[in-house]
Amino acid sequence: MVDALTRSMRASHVLVAILVSVSLVIAAVGVAFDDTFYLRLATEALIFAGLALSVDILLGYTGLLSLGQALYFGLGAYLSALVLMVVPSFWAAIGATALASALAGLIGGFIVNRVRGVYFALITFGMAQVAAKIVYNTRALGASDGLIGVPVIDINLGIVTVSSASPAGFFLLVLAMIVILYAFAAYLLDTPFGRLLIALRANEARIPFLGYRTMTPRLAAYVLAAMIAGLSGALYPMLRGFVSPELMFFETSGNAVITVVTGGAGILVGALYGSALLTLLKSVIGSYTVHHLIVIGVLFMGAVIFLPKGMMGSIRPAIERMLARREPK
Amino acid sequence: MTAPVLETRDLSINFGGLRAVDQVSFTVERNRITTVIGPNGAGKSTLFNLISGALRPRNGQVLIEGVDCTGRPPYRMQAAGLARSFQITNLFDELTVAENLRLAAQILEPVSMAWRPVRASGVAQARVDELLERFGLADKARYIVGELSHGEQRRLEVAVALACKPKVLLLDEPTQGMSHGDTRDTAELIKTLAADVTVLLIEHDIGLVMSLSDHVIVMHQGQKLAEGTPADVRANKAVQTAYFGHT
Amino acid sequence: MSEAAQYFQFVLAPQMLIGLVLGVAVILVALGLTIIFGLLDVINMSHGEFYALGAFVALALSTIGLPFWLLLLLVPLIMLPVGYIVERGLIQRVFHSGDRHVRTLLLTFGLGLVMEDAFRLVFGPNPHRPETPIAGGVEALGIFLPSYRLFLIIVGTAIIAAVAFVVYRTRLGAMVRAAAFDRDMAASLGVPVQHVYAGAFAFGVALAGLAGVLLAPIYSVFPTMGRDFILMAFTVVIVGGMGSITGVVVAGLLLTQIQAIVSLYISPVWSDPIVFGIMVVMLMVRPQGLFGRLGHG
Repeated sequence: MVDALTRSMRASHVLVAILVSVSLVIAAVGVAFDDTFYLRLATEALIFAGLALSVDILLGYTGLLSLGQALYFGLGAYLSALVLMVVPSFWAAIGATALASALAGLIGGFIVNRVRGVYFALITFGMAQVAAKIVYNTRALGASDGLIGVPVIDINLGIVTVSSASPAGFFLLVLAMIVILYAFAAYLLDTPFGRLLIALRANEARIPFLGYRTMTPRLAAYVLAAMIAGLSGALYPMLRGFVSPELMFFETSGNAVITVVTGGAGILVGALYGSALLTLLKSVIGSYTVHHLIVIGVLFMGAVIFLPKGMMGSIRPAIERMLARREPK
Repeated sequence: MTAPVLETRDLSINFGGLRAVDQVSFTVERNRITTVIGPNGAGKSTLFNLISGALRPRNGQVLIEGVDCTGRPPYRMQAAGLARSFQITNLFDELTVAENLRLAAQILEPVSMAWRPVRASGVAQARVDELLERFGLADKARYIVGELSHGEQRRLEVAVALACKPKVLLLDEPTQGMSHGDTRDTAELIKTLAADVTVLLIEHDIGLVMSLSDHVIVMHQGQKLAEGTPADVRANKAVQTAYFGHT
Repeated sequence: MSEAAQYFQFVLAPQMLIGLVLGVAVILVALGLTIIFGLLDVINMSHGEFYALGAFVALALSTIGLPFWLLLLLVPLIMLPVGYIVERGLIQRVFHSGDRHVRTLLLTFGLGLVMEDAFRLVFGPNPHRPETPIAGGVEALGIFLPSYRLFLIIVGTAIIAAVAFVVYRTRLGAMVRAAAFDRDMAASLGVPVQHVYAGAFAFGVALAGLAGVLLAPIYSVFPTMGRDFILMAFTVVIVGGMGSITGVVVAGLLLTQIQAIVSLYISPVWSDPIVFGIMVVMLMVRPQGLFGRLGHG
């Protein structure tokens, strides 16, 4: 017998598979038309989907609203840029970011997990704000200009080598990275550890009486989210060739929250679809007016009021029912 | 001589000026049903909170199998072999009955399983199936907690507490708000539990207490007023005046 | 005159006065924020935009010739129904969900985004600087202060005192505090809780709008004016204790002085990280803030 939570996760896998298929089509069309702009835009959407994914692990599973996830995204972006400017190696940048974001997540986790509820939202917000202002004021990190001149790199994947300057090649690489991060998170959430996170969100007060400390899973979830945000951020300078302090500002954290809530929290895949939708909206509306925030803001408010499960959260149950019918009895 | 499975010594706590629990000492015999009774505000639930680690006592000790566990947080009380249910149903409302039980039972699995998919080990699932059967919830396994009747939720509350195979099970008014028929069924169920777990119970239904309990502890204004067999307690003059009124 | 006195007169005192003006300004904005949190348990992320709305409404009305002094009265009166409608029409829709904190925070966050972009659409992205209503300056003990800033300090203090008086000393305030302490109990005592909630939100929003009118001549009017200001207001509310009026006043004065002194001795660019750092440390060691919540203790 497959329990309901496992089946829900499988429904998310189905939605991810659909998204990947569409992405492959986009890549093929992009190559056929020799497009750069839209492929780069789609790549950026995927990178920010990774950030949103990390917000969902906290908000959708553990029940903690982080308003400062850009801290780890920015950390990853800056560190990756710095590494690439010294050693133009993809793996060095990714490895350094994984380590640093885990460590930063651990330290940050000890600070923010002292409080819960609304105070958690505020302390994550405050901590990111402190970090962003420090980066903004540090001349060695380019201060308000950020770091420019991150070199184009060749990424050796064993069988093939992908250049970060190749629109379709790098798009596919980022797609693979985000799918791996998704799969890693989805795997962990379907373990007893993951179930504990879901329980934390549902009723934190009961957990200690089941024999668990609440601090350990909270901290572990926070570190996991920090790593996913950091690794997503590490891809940013490879795409754009620069990093700027805006990546750490509240707008970035806030956008990730909008993405997750609109796409659907607590299902992982909502982050990916949300990012695709918002990027699409921004570029479509953006071709008519600069005031895309009004539309996105209204859409977001509508989601908060009328679709508390978000876009994909409202669609997923249908797929769950489909999967349930196909299960052997 | 083996130590009693649960013992309290001079357990006390104050809330402001109020002595909510005042120097309460008792022992609980293995595989018996011991019931704590007393009027509202006698300190019964507070006593449970002290024993289960939800509150830290101001004075006194809690011993589980002779080991001093005083002031330990709830998750360490659980590790020492103690589990509890709540007077107000305290479950994972958005999850199904089976998932609630699985969460409570997963502590039975070896730590190495924490990072493997939930299907990798059958230990917790076997416990879930056993409890579903025993508590008559098998056909409700896939229901969300919110879809259950009040009586079913109360039964699940007990099952969740029992899932971790504790040595001592604290049940805080398990029949609270139940219909007459449900109450009788639950009483039967609790009786069968005593075969492999020691039960400490808070109960208001005096008829039920008398038929169910091996041992009764009477609390009044934070203190232990009397204890003994149901018959002893019923015959006790002080208990009659304080609790049963004037008979 | 001694060197120390000169230093005080020309360096330290002006800086502290700038801090004081900012302090009064921040307190005016933070007051509404803390009342809304204390009573409704709602973190109003759009509060900064209501502050900006007050300033923009005043800007629009002044172009049709209404004098500043009338606007000081008129703008809060216009803001009251706006706040009331937002509370009943938007916030109440998610108020009773299990996730009240998160959903109201998200909803007001979205509202703030929409409002900010709407300001840009209507008034353009560039700053507008209203004329200073009182020209000239005063000199006391050798320290120069523009008259309007002195006016702001006096009027701001009067408003803060009036708010404290209403909340702590009037029957209306007692109803508000009762509703904050125990909603059901207050309702059973005949307090119209629904109207108290919407009214308190409207009151908080009107205060923000009033602050917008008052501060526009000093800090200018532009679409993102709320965003920059609200961070400081949030910090003040958190350090003072969410829902505490005394806390807002004490923390508001304290933090703006710290900011002023840091700007002087370290560098203005480091005043923000230090103030936000204080907020984080405060949340870690004493999340309830310096003072307790409205209606509690």
